[in-house]
Amino acid sequence: MSTTSHGSGQHEEYPPYLAHHFDTMGQQAGAAKLGMWLFLATEILMFSGLFLAYFIIRYFYPDMMLSAHEFLQKEAGALNTVVLLISSYTMAMAVRAAQTSNTPSLKRNLLWTLLCAGIFMVVKYFEYSAKIEHGMLPGRFYEAHYHGYELVGLPHIFFAVYFTMTGLHGVHVLVGMGIITWIYIRASRGDFHSGNYIAVENTGLYWHLVDLIWIFLFPLLYLVR
Amino acid sequence: MGSQVYVNGKEIENPHEFHHHVAPKKQYVQVLGALLVLTVLTVAVSYADLGPLSLPVAMLVAAVKASLVCAFFMHLKDDDRFNVFVFVGTLLFVAIFFSFTLFDLGARNAVNDEQKTFEYWNDEAAAGNALKVGVDHVPEKAAALKAAHAGGHGDGHGGDHGDAKAEGHGDAKAEGHGDAKAEGHGDAKAEGHGDAPAGEHEAKAPANHEAPGGH
Amino acid sequence: MAHHPAHADHAPEPDYIRAKKGIMSWLVTVDHKRLGLMYLASVLFFFLVAGILAIALRTELFTPGQDFMSAQTYNKVFTLHGAIMVFLFIIPSVPAAMGNFLLPLMLGAKDVAFPKLNLLSFYVFSVAAIMFISTLVMGSIDTGWTFYTPYSTATGGAATMAVFAVFVAGFSSILTGVNFVVTVHRMRAPGQTWDRLPLFVWAIYATAVIQVLATPVLAITVLLLGLERIFGVGIFDPALGGDPVLFQHFFWFYSHPAVYIMILPGFGIISELLTVHSRKHIFGYKAIALSSVAIAIISFLVWGHHMFVSGQSELAGIVFSFLTFAVAVPTAIKVFSWVATLYKGSISYTTPMWYGLMFLWTFTIGGLTGLYLGTLSIDVHLHDTYFVVAHFHYVMVGGTVVAFIGGLHHWWGKMTGKMYNEKAGAIGALLVFVGFNGTFLTQFFLGHQGMPRRYYAYLSEYQFLHQISTIGSWILAAGLLWTMIYLLHSLWYGEKATGNYWNATSLEWHTQSPPIEHNFHDTPHVTGSPYDFPEIDKSGATH
Ligand code: HEM
Ligand SMILES: [Cu+2]
Repeated sequence: MSTTSHGSGQHEEYPPYLAHHFDTMGQQAGAAKLGMWLFLATEILMFSGLFLAYFIIRYFYPDMMLSAHEFLQKEAGALNTVVLLISSYTMAMAVRAAQTSNTPSLKRNLLWTLLCAGIFMVVKYFEYSAKIEHGMLPGRFYEAHYHGYELVGLPHIFFAVYFTMTGLHGVHVLVGMGIITWIYIRASRGDFHSGNYIAVENTGLYWHLVDLIWIFLFPLLYLVR
Repeated sequence: MGSQVYVNGKEIENPHEFHHHVAPKKQYVQVLGALLVLTVLTVAVSYADLGPLSLPVAMLVAAVKASLVCAFFMHLKDDDRFNVFVFVGTLLFVAIFFSFTLFDLGARNAVNDEQKTFEYWNDEAAAGNALKVGVDHVPEKAAALKAAHAGGHGDGHGGDHGDAKAEGHGDAKAEGHGDAKAEGHGDAKAEGHGDAPAGEHEAKAPANHEAPGGH
Repeated sequence: MAHHPAHADHAPEPDYIRAKKGIMSWLVTVDHKRLGLMYLASVLFFFLVAGILAIALRTELFTPGQDFMSAQTYNKVFTLHGAIMVFLFIIPSVPAAMGNFLLPLMLGAKDVAFPKLNLLSFYVFSVAAIMFISTLVMGSIDTGWTFYTPYSTATGGAATMAVFAVFVAGFSSILTGVNFVVTVHRMRAPGQTWDRLPLFVWAIYATAVIQVLATPVLAITVLLLGLERIFGVGIFDPALGGDPVLFQHFFWFYSHPAVYIMILPGFGIISELLTVHSRKHIFGYKAIALSSVAIAIISFLVWGHHMFVSGQSELAGIVFSFLTFAVAVPTAIKVFSWVATLYKGSISYTTPMWYGLMFLWTFTIGGLTGLYLGTLSIDVHLHDTYFVVAHFHYVMVGGTVVAFIGGLHHWWGKMTGKMYNEKAGAIGALLVFVGFNGTFLTQFFLGHQGMPRRYYAYLSEYQFLHQISTIGSWILAAGLLWTMIYLLHSLWYGEKATGNYWNATSLEWHTQSPPIEHNFHDTPHVTGSPYDFPEIDKSGATH
């Protein structure tokens, strides 16, 4: 039997940031967050293909992998790991600031996060330049053996894997920087407070995922023997 | 009036209920501390020679770090259980993807040639045959590079054995493999039909073209 | 079940088509019903394009030798046909077109969870379509829709562009999937519990789960293939040290589940058609609903059945063959439940019902021949023959396309506000049935006799069956054209549709046809199963 639970004009309080097709903020935020988690699921599955490729190459060409990975700069990788972890922390603090309606702290923490992301990309830039200069390029472009570097086996595969994995990750960092900038602008407009911060929280989730992937990339590419 | 509010098909008590959990600042600092310590640990472990254990250990530490990030920074600890389910479920499907694929690659028993693509190259290397690496697959570029680096340019990069070695590349062996191999993937039915889109890539075309399709 | 909101106190509101005017109001709309229509128009367009290519292929095969297509052209045409049908027609067809339109209506919601994302998804799809079409002027693709390495790493033409088009199309599919999962979880009307969801919703839900879990792997696969072409990364290319069979693992990890992206929504439609037009409660509601989810999960465990003779290890072949049989179980549960639903029902032979009955025949043949192909030893003989072509067309065309056309008739009045002509519909259904079986039944025999797929010419021994097949394809094309004509005709001259012209009970029938912009005047309140038909025997009811 149909009863009319609530018609159009019945919401005494319908805040401007609640979209028309939702009934409550709880519903809206819950939906947004579930959507984000599903999106993260797709990101994980996408990267999993690269990890699988890595493991297979490693399984079949262990000597090549060991000889080639020595040419990555451990220090640069470690520095970037630390930088990203700190950025994850500042991002978490930004979300917390939004939860407690502390806009100045929100903005500050977003800036810190952006700064860390920037450092990460600069370090990446130097790493990439060094590789390119030594001819340690992916696949058919690999020419390090003409620059005097003799690596075991088929190192062009290792560098292809290296560039693909870190490249795709780097693209995610860049996208993240764009989103954080946008969130910063919105925060400056005063959009976020304890009643409405799901956009900040979702940005945080995305950013932590980027960190999560790096947590695995770092030991696999730079450290493992 | 009894303006009941429903969310997700269920009645809810308080229409303005908006679940959030604000964790203390201290907790975040502690988590960051733990993450940094674990980072130092992975780096340190990589210097210790653990042999075959090094990969599992590195992955274990990474997994602990990842769980910390998920549980605290991403709030999975206090989140809707369904989001946790989504996350864990995803990992399950990653596991399916990995295990079946690795299982197949591990189980290739090299009864026929096409089952041992990777081993082929290891066998070649073990037999002392120089492998074609990177740019050697693009003969013009390789030749140009060889010429450019002929004059001891290699020194600049710290290796004076560059030239001599480079000669060995581009061996005919590797070339021959590309063809024979690809052919092996072909299907008996392909033979004799002239319509496979062969073009310039004679070697690969007939082999792959007959490969199985789909639904 | 809920009933018509009997509130006469609402001023008549314009329907969603007339609510806003001007082309811009369509281009930037976030209304799920308008987006559904826009998707519908797009996928029908691509169905037409790829259908014309199909007829060209069949016509070339009328005689054993070359008629009007060279071998190269034939390769390009079948690739384009297959790729457009798969990526631009069938994958978005039911979910993105009908699902978009119906899902919120069936849930009693005002819209999907993320309306703007929905719009974005449509534009991403359009970009993919344009990229795909642009390959035509870039030298076309001749790899087959499966893009197998190493040929695809070496062939010229526009394969790189095509591969990135697939990447983009996958993105659109992911966005739709995420949107639908969240919509089902979070947007249900009061009282709309999981066991009161229409089975179409369950099917779309299971589909969306697969879209979310499988499509990302397709994305990385085609990305790696694109990189392999540009950089020669050496993961899939054997000449550079990679393994072409690895590509097949990556590809089929997506593409086997993807065949369920194609067929599950069809299952959902059939569940609706058979109950409404036999006025009987669905038999085994829970079994049908949960078997959709079971299929979604099991479908991730069987991909190796495409690789039995590709150089996969024998052990993996045995395991995958065994698991393949497991998928048949939930599928059979569905077919049995549908047949049981019809038993002692009061069947009315409307066009949707004709398509529903047709589905039971053709899909079952498609499904059962899948078991032949899943049998390791038999597949060695049948692999890459016309038997495979017949199998997947029985599933895709005899299953999904038939369900899609049936559903189109069922909800045509709801979507457009106009009724099609029943007699014309029955004629169309007959033509489609005869034409379809003529085209593809013969191909089982051809394949069994050893006729390989993807060839423009053949031995003259095969000529008789090939000619029947080609004539069948012309009849099928005539049936589809006829259907297109009378449906279009109805837009101008059709009778006006009433709000509930089938006298059905799920929520989309509780609003006018076409619905108003926000779907319902008042949020509906669900109190029972969507299949409690007033006047019928409820022996099949589980609640
Ligand atoms: C409308 C009637 C259709 C006809 C007459 C038709 C005909 C054909 C023909 C002749 C081929 C080439 C077979 C070969 O030489 O190996 C083919 C391939 C194919 N068709 Fe269809 N088709 C039709 C509809 C569809 C639909 C609706 C779909 C998908 C939803 C579809 C999917 C495919 C696929 C995936 C291939 C394989 C392409 C490849 O080998 O790469 N077809 N079809
Ligand atoms: Cu399959």
